[in-house]
Amino acid sequence: MTEKIPSPPEVKPDTAPLPAMRSARRMRIRAAAAVMAGRATGIATRRLRFGGGTSLPGLVARAIDPQLSSYLSAQLRHGAVVITGTNGKTTTSGLVGCVFREGGLRVWRNREGSNLARGIATALLMRASAAGALHERGDAAFVFEVDEAAFPRVVADLKPRSIAITNLFRDQLDRYGEVDIVAERWRDSLQTLPPGATLALNADDPAVAALADSFAGDVIYFGVEDAPDISAQAERVQTIDTRTCPRCRGTLVYSRRFYSHVGHWACPQCGFARPQPAVSARAIMLSSLDQSRFELFLPDGMSPVVVALPGLYNVYNALAAAAVGSAAHLPADTIRRGIRRFSPAFGRAERIEVNGRVCHILLAKNPTGINEVLRALTSDGARHHLLMLLNDRAADGEDVSWIWDADIEQAPPIAARIVTGGTRAYDLAIRLKYAGRAPDAVEQDIGRALAVALEDTPVGETLYIIPTYTAMLAVRGELARQGFAPHYWEQEDA
Amino acid sequence: MPETMPTSESVGVKAEQEMSLTLGHLYPDQLNMYGDRGNIITLTQRCAWRGVRLRVVPLDIGAPLDPARYDLLFIGGGQDKEQDEVARDLREVKAPAMRAAIDQDMPILAVCGGYQLLARYYRPAEGPDLEGIGVFDAWTIHKGKKVARCIGNIAISWGETTLVGFENHGGRTYLGPQATPLGKVLAGHGNNSEDHAEGCVYRNVFGTYLHGSLLPKNPHLADHLLGLALGRKYGEPGAALMRTPLDDAMEWRAHEHMLRRLGVAPRKRAFRTTVGASLTRA
Repeated sequence: MTEKIPSPPEVKPDTAPLPAMRSARRMRIRAAAAVMAGRATGIATRRLRFGGGTSLPGLVARAIDPQLSSYLSAQLRHGAVVITGTNGKTTTSGLVGCVFREGGLRVWRNREGSNLARGIATALLMRASAAGALHERGDAAFVFEVDEAAFPRVVADLKPRSIAITNLFRDQLDRYGEVDIVAERWRDSLQTLPPGATLALNADDPAVAALADSFAGDVIYFGVEDAPDISAQAERVQTIDTRTCPRCRGTLVYSRRFYSHVGHWACPQCGFARPQPAVSARAIMLSSLDQSRFELFLPDGMSPVVVALPGLYNVYNALAAAAVGSAAHLPADTIRRGIRRFSPAFGRAERIEVNGRVCHILLAKNPTGINEVLRALTSDGARHHLLMLLNDRAADGEDVSWIWDADIEQAPPIAARIVTGGTRAYDLAIRLKYAGRAPDAVEQDIGRALAVALEDTPVGETLYIIPTYTAMLAVRGELARQGFAPHYWEQEDA
Repeated sequence: MPETMPTSESVGVKAEQEMSLTLGHLYPDQLNMYGDRGNIITLTQRCAWRGVRLRVVPLDIGAPLDPARYDLLFIGGGQDKEQDEVARDLREVKAPAMRAAIDQDMPILAVCGGYQLLARYYRPAEGPDLEGIGVFDAWTIHKGKKVARCIGNIAISWGETTLVGFENHGGRTYLGPQATPLGKVLAGHGNNSEDHAEGCVYRNVFGTYLHGSLLPKNPHLADHLLGLALGRKYGEPGAALMRTPLDDAMEWRAHEHMLRRLGVAPRKRAFRTTVGASLTRA
């Protein structure tokens, strides 16, 4: 049984003066032209196999009508949900999609990796008629994952109904500059938002929790109440990206630290502290690589939840999705069932069977991401076959310094064999060597690295593939070429 | 065919005399941005593989610096908001001891923000100058957000050898007449993207914009710093120990791969100098 999401209150029509009314027709004509041009571009790129065709149509359409996203998204009765943060965007969007679908809505999402303004325009125009009208606008909700840096522009365009921010870690310093610059952009952007939206924030990440200071509307916090405290090892191995109070810059203290700077924090100088989350997890069981269990506390009650993902970081993603569901007034049971229904997204804890071996892809694109993936792999006490892939293309970050900030020292004790690959396979090999165990093989070419790693993996066992973003695309492409996984543009939109 | 790599155990060398070094890591909480931990790990392991124990002591804001307790120092790069506090502490708490240590030829490696703080001043795009401690006759100017940051892979000459790394800095550093650059830019921006100079050297103090991390792919620089420190503490036997070769095949593969990508011809791998002598090169 599925419950319908209660209809949101009718939005009062803008009592705009006459000149704006007159331009409404012109706006519609322009939007229609942009939709047609974008759709034609999409067909052409797919036919010519340029790739996924996920960004070019939006780029073309936005050139014709820069207001297109705004124009189309305004037609959605259930509005748009925007998910951003350093880690967990795709997984959280997938979880929100499942929760909404369980609530009886049709869910649309932008595709993997197309999380800049143009990718979002593409996602919208693909669901619009040639006249510039969005299909099924009454029953559909749009769930957009948005790049941290593109967030201000996308939020200004979409005026989302709710926004979830997962966390803030160092990632691609060559592209974003510094962690503080990203937080500053988010603050500026949230200040301009009308208070009608709801903001779901991670209470346990001080840099994210403090964003409430910049927002006039409703905030719903999510967080973990109990999990193993890693304070003792944190200073040695964990990269901590927020050490000081976002309000007064005093040094933060933690009663519990779960990973990096995520935990139960407080500032002794000004008294700012972790807000009490309305959506929280207790009794977390992370004993398996296939799923995690926890007790989900929502404003309207507790339910035991199972999510088909490993690691504490994915519990946070489930909590973010639950907070968005709660903001949409969905009952606890719908949220629980939605989370249970979720199956891992493209390249995130995804499993592909290859000649009797299982390839398990665990994307890791920054220090905290790789720390948490390796931590999840230690949970079953076994020794694993690892294929670690490091690329330095623009989408990965050209600066690979971050591998030295990651706790790669976790890898040798859990590895049966390690193969490294990618454009910076040798950098990763040196990192492993200095962590105490040089890899068994190094192959820059990802196809060859995969072949070598698979050859070394006995039939019936699992090869854990830990790639950066473009390395994940490459390994997927390689498996697809061998007939083991679909081309990603042929995949059903989640 | 995949290549099989030797394990770190198989390349270890035993020292005849128990030797140990103490490294002071300046402001590890504030300045830890660009893989600086990689430099510390590299120094620690390259010591361990030769039977030398390297003790790393964090030197936080407010902590006194007793030059007699340390054999080498490291200072990394950080975010802008932390730079003020660090600069003040460096000037007010640590500068006299650091100057004394430098005059006694203590090796120091300063990367990015740390390099800027050892120079005369940093002039931000807005606001007052940030005063450095003037070890290097150099200064840094940030020309505003409209001037592109110096970002990307970089290769420089260092004596007859090369150094490779990644740079990411908004400020442009200019060397005064007293200053000697660390090397010449072969590909990338370097100090200021104008005069082909990269970094600065004064006695045994090395300032540079190269991270990535710097030392893992430049094992000859790591060994040079350690050789200076061991030579200073144990004389020639210490310096000689750091000249005993390790199997650095993988390090040099990474180094030379980056040189090729940047279109720079590989040069010599080892850096030879009389340990303890100051480096003067163009």
